Amino acid sequence: MFVLGFHFPASMGNQIPDELVAEKIAEVDISDVKEIKLLMGTKERDKEWLSYTNKDTFLFRAMVHYFKEENPEKAQKYMIYMNRYQMSAISKRVDAADDETMKLCHHLDNMEQFRIEVA
Amino acid sequence: MAGAASLRQIAFYGKGGIGKSTTSQNTLAAMSHYFDKNIMIVGCDPKADSTRLILHEKAQDTILSLAAELGTIEDVEMEQARLWGKGLFDKETPGGWINCTESGGPEPGVGCAGRGVITAINFLEEEGAYDEEGLDFVSYDVLGDVVCGGFAMPIREGKAQEIYIVMSGEMMAMYAANNISKGILKYANTGGVRLAGLVCNARMTDKEYDLALELAQRLGTQLIHFVPRNNIVQHAELRRMTVVEYSPYSDQAREYKELARKIVYNDMKIIPTPITMDELEELLLAFGLEDEVDESQVGKAAEA
Repeated sequence: MFVLGFHFPASMGNQIPDELVAEKIAEVDISDVKEIKLLMGTKERDKEWLSYTNKDTFLFRAMVHYFKEENPEKAQKYMIYMNRYQMSAISKRVDAADDETMKLCHHLDNMEQFRIEVA
Repeated sequence: MAGAASLRQIAFYGKGGIGKSTTSQNTLAAMSHYFDKNIMIVGCDPKADSTRLILHEKAQDTILSLAAELGTIEDVEMEQARLWGKGLFDKETPGGWINCTESGGPEPGVGCAGRGVITAINFLEEEGAYDEEGLDFVSYDVLGDVVCGGFAMPIREGKAQEIYIVMSGEMMAMYAANNISKGILKYANTGGVRLAGLVCNARMTDKEYDLALELAQRLGTQLIHFVPRNNIVQHAELRRMTVVEYSPYSDQAREYKELARKIVYNDMKIIPTPITMDELEELLLAFGLEDEVDESQVGKAAEA
């Protein structure tokens, strides 16, 4: 079973508890990131930049982890659809009290393509 | 069974037209190119389009057509029936290689298409194709669903051990996925076949991810990957290439690379738990793919 690209052994079944996924990204360093910037869309006229700054959430940590993984140049990175949908699904459960995060999850659930940068 | 103990025999099943051949070739290309896996493709579709992107050809000669041309299957030579991939997938190119076979089938309306699959697999086993040095994966690309016993042959005879069902968020694709799961369940205890995951070849419809995920969970398996729709797949196909070869740094190539990685490391192989037609209809209703029916109106003609 794969969640956010992490492999969980088959013996754990097909529904991995959110806290086990959170453990996988617990070590990521978010201290050097103030803002996550997401470029939504592909058509020039419809592209939209989204900003996300709430560092106290699962979603922020998951996105920083995704950005930093195998990206030593810290270049803008395409977001794999499945990872993005999984991040949103977990965030909607564990960050539910945060309106800013829920608003971003709503965007992440759509069919547009996303690219991620950090600042 | 022929082949090394470490040989993994996988199969891509799914509804006709869902994009099995495109998805399987792009994924296998990624497994070969990015993960150095050596692969044999056994195309099990009478239209013989399971290998064209790897070979850069319209369609290769099928085992059945060669047998018809030469007289009998005994007259067919391995070199005629099995071709090495072109470009990145050639045996001489660094990294993994892919070789390709197509079973073929009879003329439309004549004979049993599934027989081609049986004949092809027997031929390849007898000719030692499964014993090729370094072979890591055999991949069967199988038409439609398993209502025809012939097409179930890779499952029934215990050839394919892990099945990936290519589906989408449309009703017939989900119906087929559930039906294929029933076929796997039927042979799971005798042949050892297991369901290894659903691959959503997305149509980009509303709630498609949620729907595919829900079906996967109900079947007891995983949604192993959601492959988004992207025009670059069609652009690559026009040149008879996989995306991995046509544009290896494209976003879509990254998607196939991720799916390839998951298949390479996948250990979730389960006996599926198919759902009933009523449960499937409830699922479609819940996700808005079907409208609620007013039972009092069923069977009534439109009013003038």
